[in-house]
Amino acid sequence: MALTTPRTTQNPPLAAVVGKTPPRQHRPNARSRNKVILNVALALGSLTMVIPFIWMIFTSVESPAELAQFPPTFFPQEWHWSNYSEALDAAPFDVYFRNSFIIATGHTLITLVLGSMAGYSLARIRFRGREIVFISLVAMLMIPTYTKIVPQFLIVKFMPLFGGNDILGQGGTGWLNTWWALLIPGGLSATSIFLFRQFYLSLPKELEEAARLDGLSEFRIFAQIYTPLIKPAIATVGLLTFQESWNNFLWPLLVTTSDELRVIQVGLAVFQQLDNTSWHYLMAGTTLATVPMVLLFVFAQKYFIQGFTNAGIK
Amino acid sequence: MMIRNSPTRVRVGAISAVAALALGLSACGSESDSSAATTSDPDEVTGDITLLTPIFEGTEGQKLLEDELLPQFYEEYPNVSVSVDYTTYGNLNEKLTTAAVSGAVPDVMLMGVGWIEGFADRGLIADLSELGLTEEKLLESYTPAIVDAGTWNDGVYAVPIMLDTRFGVARMDLLEEAGYDSPPQNWDELVEMSKALTVRDSDGTLERAGFDMLSLDSRQAFETMLFSAGGDLFNEDDTAPTFNEDPGVDALQLMSDLINVHEVEEIGFSSPDAAVNPLLNGRAAMGIAHNNLWTQGLEAAPEVLDDLEPFVIQGEGEGMFFGGTLATRSATSQSPEAAQAFLEFLASPGPALAANEQRGNVPALSELLDSEYVQSNGFVQFAMENLDVAKREGGPAEWLEVRGDFAPAVEATLLDQMSAEDSLNDLAGLVQTAIDR
Amino acid sequence: MTSTETSPPREDTRPEAARGGPSGPPRQRKYSASERKLRRTGWLMVTPSLLHIGLWTAIPVIATFALGFTDYNVFSPPRWIGLDNYVEIVQDPVFLKATWNTISYTFWTVPVSMMLAMIIAVALNQGLKLQKWYRTAFFLPQVTATVAIAMVWLWIFNPQQGLLNAFLAIFGIPGQAWLADPDWALWAVILVGAWQGIGIKMLIYIAALQNVDESLYEAASMDGASSVRKFFAITVPMLKPATFFVLVISVINAFQVFDQIYVLTDGGPANATTMMTYEVYRSAFQEFRMGMASAQSVVLFIFLLVITLGGRRATREDH
Repeated sequence: MALTTPRTTQNPPLAAVVGKTPPRQHRPNARSRNKVILNVALALGSLTMVIPFIWMIFTSVESPAELAQFPPTFFPQEWHWSNYSEALDAAPFDVYFRNSFIIATGHTLITLVLGSMAGYSLARIRFRGREIVFISLVAMLMIPTYTKIVPQFLIVKFMPLFGGNDILGQGGTGWLNTWWALLIPGGLSATSIFLFRQFYLSLPKELEEAARLDGLSEFRIFAQIYTPLIKPAIATVGLLTFQESWNNFLWPLLVTTSDELRVIQVGLAVFQQLDNTSWHYLMAGTTLATVPMVLLFVFAQKYFIQGFTNAGIK
Repeated sequence: MMIRNSPTRVRVGAISAVAALALGLSACGSESDSSAATTSDPDEVTGDITLLTPIFEGTEGQKLLEDELLPQFYEEYPNVSVSVDYTTYGNLNEKLTTAAVSGAVPDVMLMGVGWIEGFADRGLIADLSELGLTEEKLLESYTPAIVDAGTWNDGVYAVPIMLDTRFGVARMDLLEEAGYDSPPQNWDELVEMSKALTVRDSDGTLERAGFDMLSLDSRQAFETMLFSAGGDLFNEDDTAPTFNEDPGVDALQLMSDLINVHEVEEIGFSSPDAAVNPLLNGRAAMGIAHNNLWTQGLEAAPEVLDDLEPFVIQGEGEGMFFGGTLATRSATSQSPEAAQAFLEFLASPGPALAANEQRGNVPALSELLDSEYVQSNGFVQFAMENLDVAKREGGPAEWLEVRGDFAPAVEATLLDQMSAEDSLNDLAGLVQTAIDR
Repeated sequence: MTSTETSPPREDTRPEAARGGPSGPPRQRKYSASERKLRRTGWLMVTPSLLHIGLWTAIPVIATFALGFTDYNVFSPPRWIGLDNYVEIVQDPVFLKATWNTISYTFWTVPVSMMLAMIIAVALNQGLKLQKWYRTAFFLPQVTATVAIAMVWLWIFNPQQGLLNAFLAIFGIPGQAWLADPDWALWAVILVGAWQGIGIKMLIYIAALQNVDESLYEAASMDGASSVRKFFAITVPMLKPATFFVLVISVINAFQVFDQIYVLTDGGPANATTMMTYEVYRSAFQEFRMGMASAQSVVLFIFLLVITLGGRRATREDH
C-alpha cells in the first residue's frame, strides 16, 4: 500500500508559498502592512455578507409593532424570544425537520457515491463516448426546473408496479406521496458529477500509473488512491447537496399530499400568506432552519483544508 | 417518449370519463332532482375524497379543519372520509397543474376568483347545479356579483367561502390635522386632499404619501380605480376587453397624474413586498388597502385602528374590489355526491365563518354580517356592508393567461413611459389575442 | 465492479498503455485487452448515474423539446402546432426584453463574482488567523433564506431611507429609486446577484486550491517570482478545471435566475427586470401554456449550449 501514500507536496497550502514566501523577499513591515490591508478588506467584505444573516436573527425577535416602525430599526428594542416558540407552534415542525434531515442525508449519500464514481470515470478513464456523455450531462442542466418538473411528476405518478400501478404505470398513484418520490428523483444532479470530474481532473496522473504498475484495479485506484485526495471536493459537494436539498420546497410539496411527508420549507410557507407575511415568525422559523446549515459548514470546514493539515504534519 | 404519450393517454381517458359522467349525471339529474346531495339521506353518501386547499394551512388552520370542522361533517356523513392536501396560494397553480396533467385531480379543490372560468371551460371542474346547487339557490344567500364569480356558461362551478377586498382607507387623525372631517367623496376631492396631505421634507424627500397606490399589486390597484371610474374589465359576454375604454383610460390617467403631476406618491415609495403598509406607520394618509390591514394593525399598531376609516373610492362608479376563495368539485371525482356534500358543508355558515375568522377575511354569506366576528373587525364589517357594489376580476376563460400582463402595462404608465391610452390599448390587444387563440 | 476489483490486469498495466489521464497519448493497439477492460470499467462507473439522470432529467428534457412544438394547456392533450410557439416567441417584445435582460445579468454578474471569489479564496488560503471566520461569513448568503436577503436589499435600496442613498449622499451623489426605476432596477438586481454568487464560487475555489502542487510554487520562488506573478503563472492555470466548472455552472445558473427576481422585483417595473426563466415560469404556471413554456425553455437551452460549447473551445480546458 505504499502507493496509496500521497506525495506530501500533493496538497500544499498555497498560502505557505504565496503569502509566506521566504522572508527575505519582503521586508517584514511591508508584509505586515499587506496583512493589515488584507484583513481590513476581508473584514469589510465579510460584514456585507453577514448583515442579512444578522438582520434575519434580529427580525426574528422583534415584535410586529417594532417591525412597523419607519425607518426600520436594525437592533431590536426588545427581544421577543417567544417568537420562536410561537413560530414552532404554527406548523408540525418536528416532523418537517425530521423529514428534511432524512431527505437531505439521503440525497447527499446518493450523490457522493454515484457522483464521485461517475466523475472519476469521466475524468480519468478514456472510454468511447466519454465526451458525449459529459456534454450531455452538462446539457441536462440547461433546461429550467420549472419546465422539467411536470414530466418528472408524471414519471413519479406512472411509476410501474408501485402504489397500485400496473406494469404500464396505470391505475394507481405510483410513487406519489411516498418516500421514494422524495429521495430518488432529487438524489443526484449533473452538477455534482461535473464538479467531481473537475476535481479528479486536477490530480496528477503519475499516481495512477504507479498504481497500475502495482497491479491495482481501476476501482481501487478510484476508491483508495484518488478519492482520499479530493476530500475538499467531497466536503464541498456534500455540503452543497445537503444544503440544496434542505432548502427544497416545490418538489416535496408537489409529490406529497400528506402532512407526514412534508418538509421544513413547506412549513415556513405558512408564514407567507397571500397579501400578508408574518415577518417575525417567518424569520424565527427561517433562523431555526438555517442554523443546522451554518453548523454543518463550520463542521465541514476542516475538510476543506484537509490537504493543509496533511502537508503540515509531514 | 413516454412522457409525451402519458399525458395524452391519460387526458383522453379523463375526457371521455368527463363526458360519460356528464351524460350520466344529466340523465339521472332530471329523474332524481330531489336526491341531490343536500337533500338525500346522508348515510347513503359514501366515499373517500381528497381536498386540495390553499387555506387552513398551518397548525391553527389544520386544527380548525381537522379537530372542529371535519368531526362535524362526519357526524352528518358518517360514511365519507376526507384526506386533506394543504398548500398555499403561492403554489396552488403548480399543484393544480400537476394534478390536471396526471389525472390525479382532488375531489374538492379550493381556488381563487378568476380561476373558475378557465377550469370550468376546460372541463376540470364539475357543474354543481347537476347535484342541486343551482344559481337561484345561491342567490338566496349571496350577492349576484359573488354568485357570478362561480358561474360559467349558465352552470354553477364554484361556491364562495371567503372574500378578500380592496377599498380606500384614510387615516382620520391625519385628515383632521389637515382640516378634513371625512374621506373624499369623489375624484376631485381625492386629488385635492391627497395633495394637501402629502408631506415632503425641506429637500423634497417624500415623507408622507397623500394617497398610496403602490403597496398593492398594480393590477389590483388599477382594477379598483377602474371600478371607481364606472368601468368594467370585459364586455357582458366576456368576449372582448373594455378596460381600455374611457373609464379605464381615465382611471389609469388619474393614477398616473397622482404620481407624476400631483406628486402625492413616488414610484418606489412602497411596494407589495414592503414589510409594513405605510398607512400603519403614518407614511401615508390615504391609500388603497386590503381588508387584512385591520388584522395587521391589530398586531402592529392597535392604537391607529380607531383612526383608520375605510371608504369606497367614489367616482362615476364605486371603487371596491373583491377576490376570494371558492370551493369546486372535480369533474372526474369518483364520489361526486360525497364531494358535493363536503364542499357545501365548507361553504355553510358555521365552517365558513370559522375559516374567515382564522384568516381575518370577509365571509361571502350575507347572513354572517351580524356575526360577532364580523362586528368586531371594522374592515370586514365595512366590506360586507358594501359587497353589493363590489366588483371582481376575471371573466373570460383566458383570464389566468392574461392577468400577468396587467402589472407591466399599468407600471409603464405610472412610470410615465407610455400614455394611459396607449398602454391600455396595447394590453387590450394582447388580451384579445389570448381570447381569440 | 467486483470483477475489476478482483482481477487487476497486472501485465498489461504499463504506464503508457493505461494512461487514463485526460492528456494521455493515443494508446497502441497491442494493449487492447486491458484497454477494453478499462473502458468497461469506465462505463460501469458512470452507468448508475446515467440511468438516474436519464430517467429523471433526460426524459423530461426530451419531453420539453417535443412539447415545444405543441399547444398544451395541461387540461387537454397536447396539439401539434409546428413552429407556432417559436414564431410567437420571436415576435414577443416581453420575451425579447427578458432575453436581453438575462444576457446583461449573466454578462455582469458572472465575471465579477468569479473574479472576486477567486481572489477571496486565495486570500483565505493564506493562513490568516481569522480565515475560518471570514470563510463562514462569505458563505452565509448561500444559506441565508432568500426572503431575508431580499428584505435587507429592499431596505438598502429604499429611495427615502435606504442605506445606499444615504451612503451616496455623503459624496453628494443624488439618490435613486433603485428597484423602482426602470433605468436602475436591472443594475440593482445585478449587484445583488454578483454579491450573492460569491460564496459558493469561493468555496469551490478554496477546495480546488488544496490540490495545487506546492512544488510549483517552490520552484517559482527559487526563480525569484513575485506573489502576483505566481498567482497568474501558477494559481490561475492550476485552477483551470475548477474555473471551467464555476464558469459553466455560473452561466447556467445566471441564465436561469428566478428566486431573486421573484422576491426583489417580480420582473418589474414594467418588465425592466424580467428574465427568461421568469417568463418560462409565467407561461407554465400562471398562464397554463406548457407548450409555450417548453419552447421558451428550448430557446434558453440553445443560448446556453452555444455559450458553453463556445466557452469550452475557448478555454480548451481538457483538450
